[in-house]
Amino acid sequence: MKILSKDKVERVLDKLAESAEVFVPLSRANSSGFYSWKTRNPEKEQLMLETLNVYLSPKNVGFPQTEKMYSIIQSGTEAQIKETFEDSSPRIIFGLRACDARAIRCLDDVFLTRGYEDSFYKARRDNMVLIGQACYEPGPNCFCQAMGVDPLEPEVDIVIRDCGDKGYIWETKTPKGEELTTSISNLLEEKELKAPEAKAFQTQVDYEGVAEKLKGMFEHPIWEDLSSNCQNCGICTYVCPSCHCFDIQVKSWGEEGYRFRCWDSCMYGEYTAEAGGGNPRPTTKERFRNRFLHKLEFFSERYGYPLCTGCGRCIVACPTGINIVNIINEVKEASVDV
Amino acid sequence: MSDKCSCEQPLVPTVVEVVDIQDETPDVKSFYCRLSEGGVPFNVAPGQCAMVSYLPVGEGMFSCTWQEGQEYLQFAIKKVGLLTDELHAIEVGQKLGVRGPYGNGFPVEECKGKDMLFIAGGIGLAPLRSFIKYCFKHREDYGKITIVYGSRSYADLCFKEELFNEWPAIKDTEVYVTIDNPEEGWDGHVGFVPAYVEEINPNPQGVIAVTCGPPIMIKFVLQSLEKMGYSDDQVITTLEMRMKCGIGKCGRCNIGSEYICLDGPVFTLTQLKQLPQEW
Amino acid sequence: MKEISKKVKEIASRLLSEGQVDVFLAWEKGNQDYLTRPLVVRSAEEAERIVFDEYSIHNLSNYLLKFRDGNEKVGLVVKGCDSRGVIRLLEDNQFSRDRLYIVGVCCPGMKDPLKAIKRNSGLLQNIPDDDKADKCSNCAYPNPLIYDELLGSEQEPNVKGERQAKIQEIENMSPDERYEFFRENFERCIRCYACRQACVACNCRVCIFDEMRPQWVGRENNETDNMMYHLVRAYHMAGRCVECGECERVCPVDIPLMLINSKLAKDANEFFGPYEAGIKYEEGSKPALSVYRLDDPDEGFM
Ligand code: SF4
Ligand code: SF4
Ligand code: SF4
Ligand code: SF4
Ligand code: SF4
Repeated sequence: MKILSKDKVERVLDKLAESAEVFVPLSRANSSGFYSWKTRNPEKEQLMLETLNVYLSPKNVGFPQTEKMYSIIQSGTEAQIKETFEDSSPRIIFGLRACDARAIRCLDDVFLTRGYEDSFYKARRDNMVLIGQACYEPGPNCFCQAMGVDPLEPEVDIVIRDCGDKGYIWETKTPKGEELTTSISNLLEEKELKAPEAKAFQTQVDYEGVAEKLKGMFEHPIWEDLSSNCQNCGICTYVCPSCHCFDIQVKSWGEEGYRFRCWDSCMYGEYTAEAGGGNPRPTTKERFRNRFLHKLEFFSERYGYPLCTGCGRCIVACPTGINIVNIINEVKEASVDV
Repeated sequence: MSDKCSCEQPLVPTVVEVVDIQDETPDVKSFYCRLSEGGVPFNVAPGQCAMVSYLPVGEGMFSCTWQEGQEYLQFAIKKVGLLTDELHAIEVGQKLGVRGPYGNGFPVEECKGKDMLFIAGGIGLAPLRSFIKYCFKHREDYGKITIVYGSRSYADLCFKEELFNEWPAIKDTEVYVTIDNPEEGWDGHVGFVPAYVEEINPNPQGVIAVTCGPPIMIKFVLQSLEKMGYSDDQVITTLEMRMKCGIGKCGRCNIGSEYICLDGPVFTLTQLKQLPQEW
Repeated sequence: MKEISKKVKEIASRLLSEGQVDVFLAWEKGNQDYLTRPLVVRSAEEAERIVFDEYSIHNLSNYLLKFRDGNEKVGLVVKGCDSRGVIRLLEDNQFSRDRLYIVGVCCPGMKDPLKAIKRNSGLLQNIPDDDKADKCSNCAYPNPLIYDELLGSEQEPNVKGERQAKIQEIENMSPDERYEFFRENFERCIRCYACRQACVACNCRVCIFDEMRPQWVGRENNETDNMMYHLVRAYHMAGRCVECGECERVCPVDIPLMLINSKLAKDANEFFGPYEAGIKYEEGSKPALSVYRLDDPDEGFM
């Protein structure tokens, strides 16, 4: 089998960064996320392959928080689309975990199926290689397995398995991965290593039947209670690897301008506010309900699996202690004939 | 159902030119758009929508009327906010962006052989009108056509020429018009649409009812139809939500697991009753 | 603390069962020891869930905004910082005093549940294990400044002065250095607006950042729009921020918002003071910079 020894990781990243932008888990100030290897500040930012995961998900690599779509010119009655900005430059995500790989599959399904292919997402995604890392030691807020994700088998092009000091097992899964492996094969060794034993999950939750049960719980009083301390701050949606809502806006000055899209959040009031002043989701309760039903029910109905991948980020990030695992549990326990 | 957009860049509009603008009411204007080289950028089935963008300002989803052989797309747009205010200020010759067509459209095929009952309020006549025009174009395929339409006042009635002159003259067609409050010079019916429908009391036998208008009107019309014995399968309506992408990606127009932009805007009452009541 | 927790529970349950309040705002325990979280209670039975402990850090006055349009009487627990938030809302005419029953608790300083869960998450490095939250190490008013009932014994202010020192350091920077300092920090901002949502002084019905006609601040996540966001936020906080520290605490990417807020508070005091926001409520009192007078000696921008 192929092995990447730990002292060669940086060289591999350097090599990969010659022909692609490589996103790696990095600490940044008191936060962390997937940032470009090339532009990192080595004095302040550390590679975080050995902690569990990072705080900000790799969602921005294929679906940037702000993405310019096309530029426009309007002069008097004349108007034209000047240029479109699909970005197909090569990108690699290195070290993403199974939960985040699943989230990319969610984004793929949203942006590339059901009648329309989003050309901006497609341009990025087609030129992206995923190098995933197997998780042998789930963290305190991880529950990916309960959501149908195998932490040992991320859905990616190449999987690396951390065998401690001895290095990473390097497993190529797809033709895309094959190509990449070939390009750095001189940095890999041929050796036999045994992957570590997987540890048990600290967070147990049973999602079985939840999507079906939620179908009858839209009007359930549970939402009032569960949402009562939510501040609609939207952090949960911004740190979530699979939340994909966006807004399309325009910036214009003089005769020029451009249209861009940017992340949006169903937790915001403005999100569904209509031009005429109405809003079908007027209060926290409706917005909160929409988020969790989208995660746990609606997406499953549409695509066959939940939109929550069990990464646990929203649990860590929520300033008011709202916890999606508790919500699943409460839904399970709720009596539906109220 | 009509073709889905075949274009490679579904979020990027095509530039069209506004060739005519008509005042329908004090706050509704019709815009006629076509490609500068002539023709339309895409075909639109009855009930489908398209995204209209005034490039430096914004985009909005509007019901779009087009018929086979027609050289332009027509949008009837009510002034309600930032974008529509700007659109109301443009002049003929203005270039706009359009993308589409979006949504499922009306089940025109399934309705063939049926009598049609169209019930609309205010600007809600715009989407129904494309279906109505389709029926008239294929007049032999449909039975009796009844149109019930109301607005706040006479001035607020859209498409007056068709309403009072063209449509009533077509065979086997009845047009009923009402306004909310009595008004000098108006000798037609006065009252709200749902009540008027009950007054007319069209027999549900072999009829498909299609309704569109302000949400509150739709709710009452649905009740009236139920009272008059219409089954849920016989009733079709269209829903509205704020939209941004139009292609089922941006998330905001969902009702339950359905996206209004993609799976709607047209639903039968049977389908609607299976959705969460968030409309 | 146990004693206080018990008393709060008793008071809440008394107020609710006697019908003196319809809603009571306090805290409950989450899954972990350190996960205390806000709780909205509507009945005496539910009041059993109430706790008050060293992680009861959230500023509950912000939750009053959820009730501002109703007629419900609301009881709530306030620490020193939260009580200033209540005064903020009263001065801003967002709530009337007679709809409130305020249980004040003299606050020995809190720990931050967010820091604790982050430290244990495996997602972040170097999260310090302080015995006091940052906001509590810079707290000049640990004792409630408005209340109907007061619990606990009076506490000494706890101002380590680190924040003021940092502000001084920034004041001494050259304009370029200063720009760079803020650019680097604001670059991280993900524009989630959590700092606004958590803020009791951000109580406008339509926030300028949601206003679309005109759209004052763009929604792009880039240097210009991020800078603009923070400038506007800062201006809107001048003389209004009660230094409760919630914005900085909830910020998911650790932007030092309190440096800005405290600098503004300091300037408001120096230029228009003596003035500190939300420390004394008198019927009709107004925060500095929120009064408009035709004979104002400055031209302003009217
Ligand atoms: S949720 Fe699963 S895949 Fe994600 S970091 Fe935790 S164990 Fe790994
Ligand atoms: S992070 Fe928590 S408080 Fe903020 S919107 Fe999400 S659930 Fe609500
Ligand atoms: S909902 Fe929470 S746990 Fe689920 S994928 Fe999103 S951030 Fe992770
Ligand atoms: S700006 Fe921050 S510190 Fe000031 S009142 Fe708002 S949340 Fe509290
Ligand atoms: S909470 Fe932090 S990241 Fe979010 S908008 Fe405020 S400063 Fe930016």
